[in-house]
Amino acid sequence: MAETPPRVPRDLRLDFFRGLSLIFIFIDHIPENALAYFTLRSVAFNDAAEVFIFISGYTAALVYGQSLAEKGALFATAQIYRRVWQLYVAHIFLFVIFTAEVSYAILVLQNPMYSDEMGVADFLQEPHLAIIRALTLSFQPTFLDILPLYIVLLASFPVVLILLERQRYLPLALSALGYALTLTHGWAFHTRPSHEVWFFNPLAWQFLFVIGATAGYARGSGRPSFPDPPWVARVAIAVSVVIAVINFSWTLHWIYDPFPPLFAKALWNYSIDKTNLAPLRLFSFLVLAIATVHVVRPDSPLLRARWAWFVIICGRQSLYVFCLGILLSVLGHFLLADISGGIATQIAVNLVGLATMIGFAALLEWFKGAARRPGGVPPASVPSTPSE
Amino acid sequence: MLRMALIPVGLAAMLALASAPRPANADEPSCTAPRELIEDEPRLPKLAERLKRHLPVVVIVIGGASTAGSAPDNSYPYFLEIALRRRHPGVQINVFNRGIGREVAAQMEARFAKDVLPYQPTLVVWETGTVDAVRNEDVNDFVDTLTQGIDSVTAHNSEIMLMDMQYNPGTASVINFEPYLAALHQTAQLQDVYMFQRFDLMKYWSEAGVFNFIDVPREKRISLAREFYECLGERLAEAIDFAAR
Repeated sequence: MAETPPRVPRDLRLDFFRGLSLIFIFIDHIPENALAYFTLRSVAFNDAAEVFIFISGYTAALVYGQSLAEKGALFATAQIYRRVWQLYVAHIFLFVIFTAEVSYAILVLQNPMYSDEMGVADFLQEPHLAIIRALTLSFQPTFLDILPLYIVLLASFPVVLILLERQRYLPLALSALGYALTLTHGWAFHTRPSHEVWFFNPLAWQFLFVIGATAGYARGSGRPSFPDPPWVARVAIAVSVVIAVINFSWTLHWIYDPFPPLFAKALWNYSIDKTNLAPLRLFSFLVLAIATVHVVRPDSPLLRARWAWFVIICGRQSLYVFCLGILLSVLGHFLLADISGGIATQIAVNLVGLATMIGFAALLEWFKGAARRPGGVPPASVPSTPSE
Repeated sequence: MLRMALIPVGLAAMLALASAPRPANADEPSCTAPRELIEDEPRLPKLAERLKRHLPVVVIVIGGASTAGSAPDNSYPYFLEIALRRRHPGVQINVFNRGIGREVAAQMEARFAKDVLPYQPTLVVWETGTVDAVRNEDVNDFVDTLTQGIDSVTAHNSEIMLMDMQYNPGTASVINFEPYLAALHQTAQLQDVYMFQRFDLMKYWSEAGVFNFIDVPREKRISLAREFYECLGERLAEAIDFAAR
């Protein structure tokens, strides 16, 4: 029942930055939220989505790579698919919430002024089709677009893992090729029958997941992942600073019009395509990731700060906190829209949401810990979930 | 010839003014807006020239259901025409409404060749983005479509103005307008096109208590729409005049 302790010491940075990305995703997902000016997307071309997917790939390779080495491909695959199932159930749950919200919004929308907006409720005209589309992941309205990506990436992960075991750079090479072909040929995932494209194109985003997996697998097997001469870190830090300055000028421009957005004409068009993980977004993330691992070492005092623990536990319970975060951001926006969008309400909604996420993560931590200790809750009643 | 044509137009404008239920007074405090919500940098020099020289002006408003309105005389383009004629008494101004509901930007852009360009408009107002956001269309494609549409209008020697989505606090939690709003505003900026910020304007009106877009009793919905379209038409005329100063 008890999980085998990882062979490599746990890198708290994974939990910390994943937790931070979940917090940012929550904040960014509340539209017209002033706090969203202070998240990653204000200082980088990428946003928290890249961080989340990269770390998910990294930890997936770390955790399931260990299962593969110790218990074989069949067991590792079964373990991965248990996770896929959890994600799938979470997605269906969010679909139900979304449906309830749309049903409520219709009351407001029954107004001749809003007949275009009413289109959002079209799927309720044919509930039988809507439910089937939700079950087949092809119904992806607002906020229901991230989990399908994660599900597809994890569902195909056993193949990546088995290839990683054979030749550790092979998946990366294949994945890079797939990414390049997707960008040049415009390959996309389509939903059926409406032929909308998936907001997150798995054919593009798999590259980032596999980059993470390659690094995570290398660490899990105790071999250095990528060559790392000292000048790389210095360049990465310098480039990250330049990107931050450029991006921050855009954010400032957004708030205060007369402020000039630096290089907007040259760069904006190359950073907008989140669907296909625009190369500039990928570059921005990778540079930032290299800079971050050099600035924040595994034994950094930052990670031992009291407040960091709140972020770390969010990262450790990532699936639950992620789903809860999406749910809370939807509810939060609903409150902001329905009551008042004032700055005080915005801060209150953010704080309550964050407190709920952290409180829930703390509860899960306690529950899992108590379940493992003798005399606590009988272990048999607690599902053991890998901390992937 | 031209002078002759002006007389009935002027009369019509005066009649329209007189017959309006609530004469739209430009300085009416209830639906004014702060300058920064109306004014933008790009100018409309060709329109300015025609207004100055009292040459006929054709404005085509293309967009979705919110442009079509609930009837030809209950839409913001209708009130835009009234406002523009009142502001420029000596000029023959015609505003044509090319709003069709449930269309994405690409469908509207495809209609340009038939519904917009043949009329050799002086100014095209393109209201778009709502259905794209409702259907989660690809933002990148949306930007490409906007750029294409802008190019085809300017290539035909006309000037163009963009208008973003309607604001409604009740829909924002189920429709994610943000990426499409950002795309519209950034494209307008990169292409040097005047952006009429309907979203922010409505938000301002909603927060200032000028209009309540949420709790509208069923019987008041038509009259609310009418009052709102009248205000919007007036503010759009103000923006057009500012760009053509």
